[in-house]
Amino acid sequence: MLRLGISLTLATAMVFAQASISGTYETGRQVKLRGAVTRIDWVNPRAYIFINVKDAAGTVANWALEIGNPLDLERDSWKASTVRIGDVITVEGVPARDSARRALATSVVLTRTGAKIFVPAGKISAARPVSQPAPRWPDGHVRLGPAPGKKGYWGAASASTLVETGAVVPMNRDGLLVNLADADKVAPFQPWAKAVYEYRQRTLLKDDPYSRCLPPGGPRQFQTPNGFQFIEQPELGRILVLLGGGDRNWRVIYTDGRPQGQGDDLVLTYYGTSVGHWEKDTLVVESVGFNERFWMSSGGLPHTEALHLTERFSRPDLNTLKYEVTVNDPRTYTRPWNGGWTIQWVADQEIQEYFCEENAEATFVR
Amino acid sequence: MRTKRVFAGLVFACLGVWAQQGHPLTGTWNGDWGATVTQRNQVTIVMNWDGKNVTGIINPGPDSAPLASVYVDPTNWTVRFEADAKDASGKPVHIAAEGHLADIGSYHRTLVGSWTQGAVKGDFKLTRD
Repeated sequence: MLRLGISLTLATAMVFAQASISGTYETGRQVKLRGAVTRIDWVNPRAYIFINVKDAAGTVANWALEIGNPLDLERDSWKASTVRIGDVITVEGVPARDSARRALATSVVLTRTGAKIFVPAGKISAARPVSQPAPRWPDGHVRLGPAPGKKGYWGAASASTLVETGAVVPMNRDGLLVNLADADKVAPFQPWAKAVYEYRQRTLLKDDPYSRCLPPGGPRQFQTPNGFQFIEQPELGRILVLLGGGDRNWRVIYTDGRPQGQGDDLVLTYYGTSVGHWEKDTLVVESVGFNERFWMSSGGLPHTEALHLTERFSRPDLNTLKYEVTVNDPRTYTRPWNGGWTIQWVADQEIQEYFCEENAEATFVR
Repeated sequence: MRTKRVFAGLVFACLGVWAQQGHPLTGTWNGDWGATVTQRNQVTIVMNWDGKNVTGIINPGPDSAPLASVYVDPTNWTVRFEADAKDASGKPVHIAAEGHLADIGSYHRTLVGSWTQGAVKGDFKLTRD
């Protein structure tokens, strides 16, 4: 009985594993905490410090403090060893919505030195690598991965959510609209789809399947904080997309000329069935066969099993991947529509190991 | 008792992992309707959104009846549907129901309202399976 209870608790805890900042934290409130560090979890994509905080009555409570993405922190020269177990720190932050002893740190001060730690270095992160030509295969095709002998992956996207090309829609990084009345600008929704989208917005994306560790199908797979990479296998007639987010899933794009699967023959999946071909330096991928168990973008864009995506990948230079997508789902949208963004190359690094469930277990099962 | 409730809550939370995220009416709905609290009739409705209309059937199987019409108002999630079925003696009977779809983000979303079958008026509650 006890084991059953523990396993259920673990599963439920995953609910928060990849939750949006807006959905997780109450950004209108502040807390100030002081205590000794009991544990440091340098876990991608969110690192945590745990401290014991004593209240006025002398009762000690252990708090989890989210301090940012460890990759970003390391680029700014911070390390897990910046603080040590037993160090006393003072933290200002934003408390969790669910009243758990959890906060998003906005300021961390090491008491013994008075130094502010884990603050962005600014210029270091902002520096962009010098542009170089995209690497190519011997036959002249542009490579979507690293050049031979090099390593790297695709990291930060220039947009955090999918909106129709040309639309100017203020929203936060979770895809929450600043003004809900802008919903019509995001995409050409059918009435039911707009109502669903607005419901998800009003409820702060609380039902997002991605926050429950389910895969980021559709365009969203190219916007996760964990990045992705292409493994091109021309001899096998396929390209693998390896995803850093969503539990390191993969997706297969067949480039061997096979026909696209049709209707009822397809087993519906999170990533669908994809076939691709090259049009000069652009990889064009047609995908169908999606299930309805995911949101195809942060912010809560709905879709149905009728979803058909046409994705275009091009690499104008070494450091830039251009992603363009046409969304065609006549059961959800009144017409096909386009969106896209660019993605930054992370040179000389591999995707960091990240498992959604592990992040949940380390952080929230307490 | 408290432990049972906690476990039930956890089980439902875990089930939410596989929620269908498309049109809120798509799927299988189970529940009952009746004129009184004690006189209830089990009912299953399977619905599907085809892009223009919601189609479906009541009680799939030998005694099934297709939904003749389904109206949905997404501004308040009012749902009305009608069907022509047969009663226990095989006589044609018209069904008309109107309800409200609640908690559309939940896997176990509900549809609750009034149900008229022939001359009998009652209420119904359906939960998405």
